Amino acid sequence: MAKGEAERPTAREGVLYFGRVAAGLSHELSNVLNIINELAGLQRDIAAAAVEGGGDARFARFSDLAQRIKTQVSRGEAINRGLHRFAHSVDNADTSFDLGELLGLLAFLEERPARLARVALDVHPPEHGLALCGDPFSLLLALHACVGAALRACAEDGRVEVHAEAAGGAARIRVTATGSLPAEGADAVSAAAFRAGAAAWGAAVCLDPGTDAQRSLVLSVPAAAAAREAAGTADPSLEVP
Amino acid sequence: MAQKSQPKLLFVDDEEELVSAVVERLEIRGIEGVGVTSGDEALQLLQREHFDVVLLDVKMPGVNGLDVLRTITRAYPDTKVILMTGHGSAEDIELGLRLGAAACLQKPVDLETLLEAARSAASGGEAADGEG
Repeated sequence: MAKGEAERPTAREGVLYFGRVAAGLSHELSNVLNIINELAGLQRDIAAAAVEGGGDARFARFSDLAQRIKTQVSRGEAINRGLHRFAHSVDNADTSFDLGELLGLLAFLEERPARLARVALDVHPPEHGLALCGDPFSLLLALHACVGAALRACAEDGRVEVHAEAAGGAARIRVTATGSLPAEGADAVSAAAFRAGAAAWGAAVCLDPGTDAQRSLVLSVPAAAAAREAAGTADPSLEVP
Repeated sequence: MAQKSQPKLLFVDDEEELVSAVVERLEIRGIEGVGVTSGDEALQLLQREHFDVVLLDVKMPGVNGLDVLRTITRAYPDTKVILMTGHGSAEDIELGLRLGAAACLQKPVDLETLLEAARSAASGGEAADGEG
């Protein structure tokens, strides 16, 4: 072993550090938003008292401004809650979690890239709760690879949909893009998704060629203990169902 | 002039700007309220003065909100406590209610929601937890 190699942090340690710090900073940000919210409320109170006391009618504008500040604070707090959930998604690499909740987080994380690409993104959780057992962060990473590819494949005003369903002891997650997902690109995407996180699940990533107007990437993820046994043994080669 | 039906409040949070804004807003509403920025200050004040309801942030440097809650429920049983927690603190909420908090609200807490919870706690209403 080369000198210094034993001291180098593992990828897992790095991810845990990143998550802990991000969660802490998210907490601090929440405090700041709380203060801004309260100051906006105070501004509104003072303005209302001034108007009631016969003051200049322009004071009413302060109330309006205070409400607009509160609206942005609510928006900031929603973003911060998502950031907090993302930061904590790395806490445990072997845990039980609900796929629907993870897809909710995925929808939050991919909202901005979709908006910038001017592509509509719809994420549909499974009809009923579906518990998976494994590393939620690596699954998130794999899904991010698939959604990212779908967003790039879509023309503006296109649509990407993510559908999840239970399928015989596994979860099947389909990422569909309207617009052509070039077949030659799908190999690279499925391999990237596999490396990114699907491998940790023993998941298969397949391309459903569909039509020229619509192609799908499909992740088949074992639901429970089988995931750990299968990890590292799944064949990443492209399969067409 | 303070309305007699309004509980006397002690607001405890380590963010000075927040404490200052809340106390001023209480004053505008004619509600008697005092603000402090630490658990230590809160416990010292409670030795000298009675408050109907303590509005208490959980995570503070030094003496944290749950420790203050333990002391209040033991030493000042007539004083009700409403905890204010950050997001992702389900364990804090559960523990707080077990320790005797009248309610747990998740920050950011709307002042009207906080006041409603304080009135309910002061009049012996049931414990509640939820979004502020």
